[in-house]
Amino acid sequence: MRVSGIGRIALRENFLSHYGRQLGTLSGLLALALVLWTLTPHFLTISNLLNIAEQATIIAIIAVGMTFVIITGGIDLSVGSVLAFAGVIMASALHSGLPLPLALLVGVGAGLLCGLVNGLLITVGRLPPFIATLGMMSVARGAALMFTEGRPISGFPENFRSLATGEVLRVPAPVIIMIGVYVIAHFVLRRTKLGRYTYAIGGNEEAALLSGINVKLYKTMVYGIAGLLSGLAAILLTARLNSAQPIAGMSYELDAIAATVIGGTSLLGGEGTVVGTLIGALIMAVLRNGLNLLGVSSFIQQIVIGTVIIVAVLIDMALKRRGN
Amino acid sequence: MKKGLILILLGTLSITLISCQRGQEQAGSAPRIAFVMKTANNPFFIEMQKGAEEEAGKLGVNLIVQAAEREVDVEKQMQIVENLIQTKIAALCVTPSGSREIVPAINKANSANIPVVIVDTRVDAKALSDSKGKIATFIGSDNYEGGKLAGERIARQLGGKGKVAVLEGIPGHETGDSRLKGFRDALKASPGIEIVASQTANWERDQGFTVFQNILQSHPDVQAVFACSDLMALGALEAIAAAKKTGQIIVIGFDASDEARKAVLSGTMDATVAQSPATMGAMAVENAYHLIKGEPVKEEMVVPIKLITKENAAATDANK
Repeated sequence: MRVSGIGRIALRENFLSHYGRQLGTLSGLLALALVLWTLTPHFLTISNLLNIAEQATIIAIIAVGMTFVIITGGIDLSVGSVLAFAGVIMASALHSGLPLPLALLVGVGAGLLCGLVNGLLITVGRLPPFIATLGMMSVARGAALMFTEGRPISGFPENFRSLATGEVLRVPAPVIIMIGVYVIAHFVLRRTKLGRYTYAIGGNEEAALLSGINVKLYKTMVYGIAGLLSGLAAILLTARLNSAQPIAGMSYELDAIAATVIGGTSLLGGEGTVVGTLIGALIMAVLRNGLNLLGVSSFIQQIVIGTVIIVAVLIDMALKRRGN
Repeated sequence: MKKGLILILLGTLSITLISCQRGQEQAGSAPRIAFVMKTANNPFFIEMQKGAEEEAGKLGVNLIVQAAEREVDVEKQMQIVENLIQTKIAALCVTPSGSREIVPAINKANSANIPVVIVDTRVDAKALSDSKGKIATFIGSDNYEGGKLAGERIARQLGGKGKVAVLEGIPGHETGDSRLKGFRDALKASPGIEIVASQTANWERDQGFTVFQNILQSHPDVQAVFACSDLMALGALEAIAAAKKTGQIIVIGFDASDEARKAVLSGTMDATVAQSPATMGAMAVENAYHLIKGEPVKEEMVVPIKLITKENAAATDANK
C-alpha cells in the first residue's frame, strides 16, 4: 500500500499554513470576546461560557461533517433536513419501546444512510454535490414530514434526556460529546488514510485518482460521515428540546457552512482543519449570545452575523495571499 | 493587512453594538423584563411588541424584546431564553414557538427563579407537568372560541348546508389546533355542512395560495373556506381571484390584520376573527411587573376575541 505523494505534500502544506491561520481565527474569537466583555458584565461568567459552549454543540457537530465534505471540494446542503429525518426516526424508535442504545443507533444509522445515498449520487451518479444534496435536502425533509404527518414527536424518558441535561463537573453532556467528536475527527483527518485522502481528493481529484486512491469509495465515506454526524446532532437536539420536529434544522446547513468557512476551510477544497471549524462555530455562538445579552434587535443581529462572516473570510483570504 | 482587517471588524462590531444598546443601559436600575416573541416580522407580533413597549414606558420598566429569525425555530428561541437568563432579567414573557418544545426553556427560567409569563400560545399542559415546570400566568386569546365563531358564521352564511374547506396552520401548534377544534365543534350543529378538504398551509401566504388552488382543482364546488390565519386566507383569496371566482366563495380568516380588514370592507373576504395583540403585549408586561413586585396574578387571562364583518370592520380600529 502506498500513501500518495500528493497527499503527503498537501498535508505538509496544510500543516504549515494552517496553524498560523488558525491563530488568526482564534484571535478573532478572542477579540470578539473582549469587545463583549467590555460591553456587558454578563458575558464573561462561567455559567454564560458553558451556556455558549452548549449552544454551539449542534452546529459544531454538523460542521465537522461539513468540513470533511468541503475539504474534498464538495458541499452538503442536506444536513439540516437529514437532522430532522434522523431525529423523527429515532424519536419514533424510542416511542415504540426500542431500548435506548438501539434507538440511538437507529437515529445515527438513518443519518448515515442519507449521507451514503448523497455520496453514491455524487460518485456513482456523477451528480454535482450541490445538486445531489439539494435533492436530498428536499427528500429528507419531505420524508420527515410524511413520517410524522407534520407533527412533532415529544416526551422522552429521563435517561435519554440526560444526554442534553446531564452534567459532569458543571460541563453539559453535549459539550463533552462535541469535544469527543472533535478529538476523533482531528485524529481521523491528521493520522488516518481516510483523512489524508480527503485532502488529496480536494487538492486535486484527478491526481488523487491517478495515484491509485479509490476516490469513489472515500468520497462516499466522507458524505456518509456528514450524514452520520447529522444523526448524532439530531439525537442531541431532540434530547435538548424533548421533542423531535420534522421542521427542525432548517437552514442549519448555512450555519454549518459559515462555521466551516470562518474556520479557514477553503470552499475550493484541499485545505481546512476541524480545529478551525470549532473556532468558527464558537464565533457564531458567541456572536448570537452577545447580541442577545445586549438586547440587540433581531434584524440588526442578522446584519452583524452576515458582516462577521464576510469580514472573517476576507481576513482569511488576505492571510492566504500573504502566505503565498 | 491582517491588522487592518481585524480593526475594521472590531470597528464595525463595536459601533453596531454600542449603538444598539443605548436604550438598555440608560434605564439603569429599572427592573428588566424580557419579551421573547415567535418572530419580529409578522404584523400580529409587531402589534404585540408595540403594546408591550407602550406599557413598559408607562410602568418605567426596561423591556428587552428578542425574536428568532424564523418563527418555527424552537431551538433558536430556546437559545435566546438561555442567553437572556444569563443577563439576570427579573421576568420573562414568551410566545412559544412550540407548545412542547418551550418546556425545557421554562425549566431553565424556573431554576433561575425568573417568573414566566406565557403569551398567545399555550404550553402543552402535560409536557409542563411531566417536567415539573411552572408558569406564572397565561395571557392569550381564546382560540377555541374564535374557531367556533368562524364555524357558526359559515354555518349561518351557508344556511346550514354546503361544502367547506379548511386551511390549517402547522400541525402541533396549539393556537391552530384550538381554532380548528372550535371550528369543527361549531359545525357539528349543522350536519348539512361537509368539510371536503382540510390541509395545512403552514401559516404562510404563498402556501395558502397554492394549497387552496389545489383544493379548487379537486373540489370546484367548494362554497366556503376557513383559514386559521389571515395570511393563509389572503393567499386563498388570490387563488380564488385567479380562478375568477371572486365573491362566489365565502372566506373567513383569523387575526384581523389590516389587510384582512380591508378585504372584509371591500367584500372579497366575509369575516375575520379579531384578536388584540397589542392588548396581549401590554397585559403581559403589566403582569410581569406585578410578579416582580411580588403581587399575585391570575393563573390565566383571556383577551377578548370577536368576529369582524363588513358591518363592524370600519368601526373597530385595528388592535383595540
